[in-house]
Amino acid sequence: MARALIATASPEKLNSDRARSRRLLDKFMTGVLWAAASSIIVLLLLFIAYEFVQGWGALSWHFLTGYPSASDAGGGVGPEIFNSFYILILTLIFTLPIAVGAGVYLQEYAGSGRFRDLVQFSAESLATVPSIVMGLFGLLIFVQTFHWHFTAVGGALTLTLLNLPALMRVTQEALGSVADTYREASMGLGATKWQTVLKVILPSAIGPLTTGVVLVAGRIFGETAALVFTAGASVSYGASAYDFNPFHTAETLAVHLWSTHREALVPDADQIANGSALVLLIMVLVFNVVARVVGRQLTVRLTGKA
Amino acid sequence: MVGVRANKAHRDERIALVFLILCSVIFVVGIGLVLGYLAWNGTKLFFQDHYSLLTFLFSPDWDSLNNKFGALPFIAGSLLATGFAIVVGGPLGVAVGVFFSELAPKRVADVMKPAIEVLVGIPSVVYGWLGLTLLVPLIAKVFKVEGDGLLAGGIVLSIMILPTVISLSEDALKVVPNSLREGSAALGATRWETISRVLVPAASSGLAVGIILGIARAIGETLAVQLVLGNASVVPSSFLKPAAALTSEIILDMGDAPDGSPLQHALFSMALLLLLISMVLIVLIHYALRKRA
Amino acid sequence: MVEVQKDAQTLSDKMKVENMDVYYGSFRAMKDANLNVPDRRVMALIGPSGCGKSTFLRALNRMHDLTPGTRVTGKVTLDGTDIYAANIDPVTVRHRIGMVFQRPNPFPKSIFENVVYGPRIHGENNHKKLVEIAERSLRQAALWDEVKDRLQRSALDLSGGQQQRLCIARVLAVEPEVILMDEPASALDPIATSKIEDLIGELKKEYTVVIVTHSMQQAARISDFTTFFLLGELIEVGTTSDIFTRPGDKRTEDYITGRYG
Repeated sequence: MARALIATASPEKLNSDRARSRRLLDKFMTGVLWAAASSIIVLLLLFIAYEFVQGWGALSWHFLTGYPSASDAGGGVGPEIFNSFYILILTLIFTLPIAVGAGVYLQEYAGSGRFRDLVQFSAESLATVPSIVMGLFGLLIFVQTFHWHFTAVGGALTLTLLNLPALMRVTQEALGSVADTYREASMGLGATKWQTVLKVILPSAIGPLTTGVVLVAGRIFGETAALVFTAGASVSYGASAYDFNPFHTAETLAVHLWSTHREALVPDADQIANGSALVLLIMVLVFNVVARVVGRQLTVRLTGKA
Repeated sequence: MVGVRANKAHRDERIALVFLILCSVIFVVGIGLVLGYLAWNGTKLFFQDHYSLLTFLFSPDWDSLNNKFGALPFIAGSLLATGFAIVVGGPLGVAVGVFFSELAPKRVADVMKPAIEVLVGIPSVVYGWLGLTLLVPLIAKVFKVEGDGLLAGGIVLSIMILPTVISLSEDALKVVPNSLREGSAALGATRWETISRVLVPAASSGLAVGIILGIARAIGETLAVQLVLGNASVVPSSFLKPAAALTSEIILDMGDAPDGSPLQHALFSMALLLLLISMVLIVLIHYALRKRA
Repeated sequence: MVEVQKDAQTLSDKMKVENMDVYYGSFRAMKDANLNVPDRRVMALIGPSGCGKSTFLRALNRMHDLTPGTRVTGKVTLDGTDIYAANIDPVTVRHRIGMVFQRPNPFPKSIFENVVYGPRIHGENNHKKLVEIAERSLRQAALWDEVKDRLQRSALDLSGGQQQRLCIARVLAVEPEVILMDEPASALDPIATSKIEDLIGELKKEYTVVIVTHSMQQAARISDFTTFFLLGELIEVGTTSDIFTRPGDKRTEDYITGRYG
């Protein structure tokens, strides 16, 4: 059958009709796939460009540091930006030890067994809980049961639960990237497992670990749904707005974007929203760049290779 | 060799082990608490207020002022928006995953992949805002409607699940052994034929996991959909009319719901429903992964 | 040992290789190779590991096209036409020149679907014809009796030797003219190996076979001609009996007598 199609070796026959249409299909689909990938990049650039155009006008020193206004135009988002960072740091303080600890345990200590499966399954389940549902859980425990009302700590603890699985996975992957030879060398010199982990493995993994943590931090910075009912959607006005007390209401920038639009009390709500969106977008880019650059630098400095 | 130093090291080791195990236990306790609290509060509507479960799930009448808590409008909204996102974003994500795994030269991938990671990092509220300011007016102009609704929500969700589907599809394809690519090429197949007839079928369970995770992401998304869906409380009759989802309804009404009211309990029930759907999706993923092995 | 053909001079050449170089990046893995491959005979390629015999083999069906950074220069002709010419589609080349690999690589599909993969791609969709092709190819590969009752079962359930014969059947279904084999039995046990060797003896009645082997005994058992490679160069070619009893080049002789492996 096939031989009949291309009976002689002349070039014309080696390229029969059927072969030509298959070649065309191959080229066509290749083009489709390239178009699909490129369209996504174009989309991203479109978003960034659009938001820059819309929000750039709103950015000013006053906007970035001033207080929000209850009903007049010209409010700023200073306290909100402060709260975003405050809650981020608080969340990381709570999450990192636990997530890294569990990650180290699963990766370096636990054999395969029911406990390991249970922890792994719990992490996967926590990871799939929608953020709004976690926010409701935070509402139930911290705001209602503990009677804290809206607090930065409540928000941070809720975000902790939300991000434990992500940071644990970051830890596991970072540890997995460390070559076994390091482990063997250390144990062979008589070190205990914990000493090995602390002095050899974790330092070697610091590059990918940092990259992963900074990327997760970027996502924490933009979290909204879990914070609306735990850290609140308002700030106290006046001098106490830049408040280091973790038990005060703490609206973050992302929540502010939403609440400003929702309440629409101030005449320049759209402009504030655009400005907030732009700041958030810029922060995402910054977090991404920092994650890569710092991560790579740490790896180079430590291991001498890129 | 027993010495003071060795003893201390061993003691540290034991303390460290206890600490590490405690960290791991927190995960288990955490999910247990979440499940417990939500199950407890999510069933108050049925056990305390004696509202019918069937009415809650299947009635299209939602009127909180008149004690009607049929959640069908929101269930339908969530399912339809998610369905749209999967139908559009699923194949697109797999296609780009195929692109990265089989087609993209290293230099191109090195530029495109960080861009996709930026897409992951964009907060959902910003996606919602972009949808509201960019997409909704566009739909309004093209279709001569208000603009908000399931079409806007579906499109926004498609974009948001893309990074997940792309990265999992790429992983699934990379795991397929190279010997299969060679074998197919040696039989005279074109690259597209190898991709469509050998690689994608071979990677099917991994691709399924990507799609399922995309579904999980879409159905749990709150801010992005709330801003573009429009906040109606009726079952949507078209993709161009305002609608609502379980998530958007929760975030909109929870603030005003009085403590202990049936409305608040109904919202908790919706949260419990979301949680249960997520759990089911995890089980599906495990099933798909087991099929691969 | 294979009997020397008295009419060796009147054998036609199915393929000719002229001044072929293969570069991996800037590394010259094959230097200026020249070879005539006689029609419907078995040509064995031998040499120590790393000598380039697999590199040479893969150039014969343009498999190097799939590896970026690899370059092939020179001429490789099939029935007189250069397969590396600009207007030749490598896909059709591989249709006429098939390849069997070192490790069996059946697709995760049924036995039947594996065998008819090639014909399907080339446009055959008539189920009756496909069944005929499958049976014919599986019989040629000496596998039919073992699988005829379980064609719908997964190919991955077969033993290693059966999988390899399935891969051969897969290639035969495409009706190539040349079959390239890259150490096809090296991953198999002795019994499976001897089945493959018997198969090759049958195949050469219809097909031209070029086989890379690390086993000199195997080359001596099944091939009509043998080519010796060393360090990326084609050192010597001749009838198998000549190569093994009176090799012309000292390097060949050293390899044959086991001075290096």
